[in-house]
Amino acid sequence: MKPVVVEKVTKRYKDIIALDNVSLSVKEGEIYGLLGPNGAGKTTLMEILVGLRRQDSGNVFIMGIDVLEKPSKIRTLVGFNPQETMLYDNLTGFENLEFIASLYSITEEEFQEKLEVLSDLLDLEDLLGRRTRKLSGGQRRRVSLAASLLHDPSVIILDEPTVGLSPDARREFWSFIEGLREQGKTVLLSTHYMEEADELCDRIAVMDSGKIIATGSPDELKRLHGGSAKIVIHVRMKHIAQAEKALSIYSPIRTSEGLEVRTDRAEELVPDIIAKLQSAGVDPESVEIRSPTLEDVFLNLTGKRLREVVG
Amino acid sequence: MKPSLGIAKKDFLLFIRDRAALFWVIIFPLLMMLLFSAVFGGEGAKFDVACVNNDKRQIADLLIEAMNSTGVVTLHLFESQAKAFEMVRAGEQDLIGLLVIPEGFTDNLTSGRTGNLEFFVREEDPTVQQMLTSFISGFVEEFNSRFRRELIKEMLVYMPENMSFGGYSMTKEEMVELVMSIARPINVTVALISKPEVTSDTVAYWENKGHWVSTMFTYSFLFSGMVTSTGILVEEKERKTLKRLRLAPASIWSLLIGKILSALIVLSFSQLVLIASTILVLRPEVNWDLTLLPLVFMGDVTGISLGLLLAEISPSSRAAGQAAVVIGVLLQFLVGMYFPVQFLPGFLRTFAELLPFTKAAEALDRVLLGGATISEVIQPCVYLGISAISFTTIAVILFPRWAREE
Repeated sequence: MKPVVVEKVTKRYKDIIALDNVSLSVKEGEIYGLLGPNGAGKTTLMEILVGLRRQDSGNVFIMGIDVLEKPSKIRTLVGFNPQETMLYDNLTGFENLEFIASLYSITEEEFQEKLEVLSDLLDLEDLLGRRTRKLSGGQRRRVSLAASLLHDPSVIILDEPTVGLSPDARREFWSFIEGLREQGKTVLLSTHYMEEADELCDRIAVMDSGKIIATGSPDELKRLHGGSAKIVIHVRMKHIAQAEKALSIYSPIRTSEGLEVRTDRAEELVPDIIAKLQSAGVDPESVEIRSPTLEDVFLNLTGKRLREVVG
Repeated sequence: MKPSLGIAKKDFLLFIRDRAALFWVIIFPLLMMLLFSAVFGGEGAKFDVACVNNDKRQIADLLIEAMNSTGVVTLHLFESQAKAFEMVRAGEQDLIGLLVIPEGFTDNLTSGRTGNLEFFVREEDPTVQQMLTSFISGFVEEFNSRFRRELIKEMLVYMPENMSFGGYSMTKEEMVELVMSIARPINVTVALISKPEVTSDTVAYWENKGHWVSTMFTYSFLFSGMVTSTGILVEEKERKTLKRLRLAPASIWSLLIGKILSALIVLSFSQLVLIASTILVLRPEVNWDLTLLPLVFMGDVTGISLGLLLAEISPSSRAAGQAAVVIGVLLQFLVGMYFPVQFLPGFLRTFAELLPFTKAAEALDRVLLGGATISEVIQPCVYLGISAISFTTIAVILFPRWAREE
């Protein structure tokens, strides 16, 4: 039985189609990513999965249970962490978690046990006694995540979990998600950070304008939709025109980093590129081969850059 | 039940940590109580007047005693007129007037001459001047009348029992009546006919310090009940924490029960603090009766359910919060907390009398100050009960829709 199954789900807000015939399934113990810009329909899909919204058509099952039929049961199976941290600013971290535990009718003993585990996992010890309004964004997110996991859910749904976090905090978070994978939890997360999806997810659904436009593992997506590899040539700005002329045979493209050459024979071409630059009197700072990224996948599939759309 | 208790505990913690909420629910009504009771509820005279008694005889002493007994002025005796005059001019000791009783005042009156008093009023607030001069004129007129009547009585003692007067024969009693009518030929009694319901009881309740106990209860229905319950509901939406509540397996009804419980706890807490403070500060003499329990409970439920309703029917959380505060502030002045409802102009008075909080305030006054029993306040009790049940029913019906919409 697949923990998450979405079948032909459509959701409209007046004239806007938020989800258009979306289908996907997530395997047990898998980390599944929804990659797409703001407005792609990721949050709407997640809120339908946890019963916060109703789809106009289609079916959603969590652990084989129809979300619309048994919403209360679904809420015990799913831990949802939305984009907002949803904490009470004037309560301490401990008081917030104690309150959430009461909503799930968790006993005092169970709560203490869970708190100990989550405190170790998320490094909460210093945060529990402080009012959450005094915590940083990353610290608040850790407390909020603990709140979503207190009832030990089988399926964890995380909506843009690392938005607003520093690069270090984001890395820490990734290792926490890896920890959940080791515990056999099924994780569905949405993100618009390509490197996050690439690093964490076993499989990804690329979403745009309410539709899933491609699914697969990061490698599959890059292989199928990422296009050619590219050679990135870093040269000083004053030499860029010279370098462009020297490499005109390869049709280089100017980028913010320097020049870019797209090719299926990257390894073969690098020595020739260096030689051509040197003979033109240009000393490149570096020449590197880059495999296709998920950014390339998104660009090839939609004709727009994910970064630009998220902007 | 655990989720509901959890919500109640959480909301109470948030309430006692919210300085703005504490101000409106606890501090503000106490300040109002101190301010109003200091202005209107003070004991003793309202005007301090200097007095120089150069006569020091029987009628002068009687005049001073009578004037002090009115409770309107307090006379402060001075030996030197010049010193008293200067003190009034400087406004020292809050003196705003000077009464001078001349030497020979008693002799003049007892020998058929006029006793001349001098009265000086400090030039300051025109309203105070007018009030004080009106009082002195009225007092002297009344004193004159009584004095004349006493004088006539004294003279008539020496008259024969039967006498003939202008061809008519008269008994002594008939003669007394005739002469008395000459002493006060016209008498007028002024009565207000536009507000017949302003009974002496109403005014007496309002002037009684114990009225502040019922005012504190009524204030708590409005602010700790209505405004707070609107707040604890809309804040969940404003802070987006409602989503967290909806994500939990707890039913929507346990959420509603939790919210009502929170409001009741906050309300009871504020009532305890307000009533204890009022008793401590004003030391009123009030009648604590079990009749108060259903009255207060129904007032609580009416306030809370109205607050929930406001949150549920308002187009946005912000609008609901603002509406609750504005309505709460306005109703304070309409439900007989600071002045009797009967003092309101016609249309406002009709509206005010329809408000359940007005009924609650009146019934509380009658129990606390008039010692009324449950059977004597059954009408406002029933009105309050019907209001509480009606508002609560509507609030419960609308709650699921409110909780589900973003």
